[in-house]
Amino acid sequence: MKLTKLISKVLILILIFSVLPFAQENMTGLEIMQKVYNRPTGEDQTAKLTMTLIDSKGNKRVREIKQFSRDFEDMEKKIMFFISPADVRNTAFMNWSYDEADKDDDQWIYLPALSKVKRISSDSKSDYFMGSDFTYDDLGERHPKEDTHELLREETYQGEDCYVVESIPKQEDYMYSRTITWVVKDKWIALKKKFFDEDGEHLKNLTVEEYQNIKDYRIITNSIMHNVQKDHKTDMTLENVELDTGIPERKFTERMMKRGL
Amino acid sequence: MFKLTKKLSVTIFTVILLFSIGNAQGTSFHGYTRSYVGMLTSGDNDFSIVQNTFDLDIEHSRKNVSFLVNPYIYQYPEKDLDFNLREAYMDIYFKAMDIRIGKQQIIWGSADGVFITDVVSPKNLEEFLLRDFEEIRVGITSLKADYYFGNKTLEFVWAPIFNPTKMPDKSSIWFPERNLSNAPIEPTIDNSQRKVENNLENSEVFAKFSSMGSLIDYELMAGYMWDDEPTMHIQKTIDRETQKPTSITAIPQHHRLSLAGGSFSTTLGPFVLRGEGAYYDGKYFQDSNQPEGVVEKNYLHYLVGTDFTLFDVNLSTQFIQETILDYDDSIRDEQYKNTMTFLAKDDFLRQKLTVEFFSYVGLNNSDALLRPKVYYDLQDSFELLFGANLFLGEKGRFGQYNENDMLYTKITYTF
Repeated sequence: MKLTKLISKVLILILIFSVLPFAQENMTGLEIMQKVYNRPTGEDQTAKLTMTLIDSKGNKRVREIKQFSRDFEDMEKKIMFFISPADVRNTAFMNWSYDEADKDDDQWIYLPALSKVKRISSDSKSDYFMGSDFTYDDLGERHPKEDTHELLREETYQGEDCYVVESIPKQEDYMYSRTITWVVKDKWIALKKKFFDEDGEHLKNLTVEEYQNIKDYRIITNSIMHNVQKDHKTDMTLENVELDTGIPERKFTERMMKRGL
Repeated sequence: MFKLTKKLSVTIFTVILLFSIGNAQGTSFHGYTRSYVGMLTSGDNDFSIVQNTFDLDIEHSRKNVSFLVNPYIYQYPEKDLDFNLREAYMDIYFKAMDIRIGKQQIIWGSADGVFITDVVSPKNLEEFLLRDFEEIRVGITSLKADYYFGNKTLEFVWAPIFNPTKMPDKSSIWFPERNLSNAPIEPTIDNSQRKVENNLENSEVFAKFSSMGSLIDYELMAGYMWDDEPTMHIQKTIDRETQKPTSITAIPQHHRLSLAGGSFSTTLGPFVLRGEGAYYDGKYFQDSNQPEGVVEKNYLHYLVGTDFTLFDVNLSTQFIQETILDYDDSIRDEQYKNTMTFLAKDDFLRQKLTVEFFSYVGLNNSDALLRPKVYYDLQDSFELLFGANLFLGEKGRFGQYNENDMLYTKITYTF
């Protein structure tokens, strides 16, 4: 009796393990992008973000930010403190984004010249962040339910086995008509992304130059957004990344925006 | 002049001393230098302003304490240096409470370019409303305590010394239309009652409760203060035979005011909706039927506004109304004074070039102030600005300056 039970368990396990790769091979575009969205990156993160804006002649302008983010039950809160250039120093930006797909983010900005915190509309997600090639939406985590996804093919990109997924926004007047993403199998990192403008023309490429394993999480630490139409790009580097340090909830308040670093 | 030079020397010495020890001890120095030239478009194209500015923030912080000192210098070609401290305060941080002591600017409310519940710091109107807002507000010596619980804050301000609004000199092109301009003879000014004595009884106190949340941000406030602008009490001597005044004396006096109000800000789809209002108990207005030419009335000041984006242009508009309650027809001001503001702003060349248009429109007198600006970053933190201030109309808050249309340029280096 015991032997029969054991054989049954082994058979079930064999069945599961034989079906799993098959199931993964047949993942839909939505499932893949859901995996990317759900890739664990820690409960909270502290990092210094450096954006280097490079124009078509190679001239560089540098923006430095200290950022803190933390996942809460149904939302992610992020606060950014601008360090340089000097004319934006002490500006702070706070974003609360919700797991609920159709709930808009809440955003506030603290402008030291006005000495007050202003609520701003998250509708300006297509605005470019600090003159970089990243829009506010590019910097956030777009919910997979906002797009229709199709798995186009599987291919090797930079030595990694990738899914290639096309995503078309459900919102008709969204700033991109479609995106194509190269997702590393099993790691669920979007290694490359091509953006197409509202006219369907190729607009930008996002490439991940480096990701690191920090506390068992895969964290993208260097990426480049290249506007192929205007031939300028932005190098975004994360340094001094700290994860799961227990950032208190009071970090994400008006008090801290005004107080600064 | 000697006193000023001495004061300046001491300050420069202090700054150099702080610079030299600062880096080693974590003190930071930031600020800007700016050259500002403005030219009137009428007449002989006189320069309305030629100003060089140095503004320095000296900050130092440790775990639970910090300080900031912000000296500034305005230099004009034919005037003494204007040197002062914009702010000089210390912060003490507790777990759920912050205390700030010293000279500080305190800014309340959600309005842009309009002062409704934003009444704690007085204003410097020596250049009307044309200065940058951090330069319009005057720091006040005060104690501010903030108690935090979640996303809510209870704030209390005690300002022991009253500071009035700084008005332009009589010789300035920004000297406002006199309230007594209709007087049959030129009044003399008696400033003997203008000063509010510095004592505990004459303190100002303010309190504010604010909340920030996903649904709405709001503030509720109250204040027991002095009216920042003086009321002109009138004394007339009448000739018994002709029954005409032989002398008129205007006696400026500041009066106590109580006010309560609030503001809110929320999002509705792509729109940010904002509102702010305050009820003033006991504000004085000029009234020709009263023996001293003034009457005390209650007063309501409020606005509604919205911010939104259209074709990547950031837009904002506000409607503001001032209402005198229990109105008498003999009051000089109109019962309802309506104003609107408009803002449009867009940037180009990866935020190197910014184009902005801001305007106040007075609906009662069909007057306006139009403020187009273009600014370009020659390098990061090195900005060149061209702008114009255009006054439309013949009378009213903005129309009274219709001879003061100006073009100006500012070049600012921030460090």
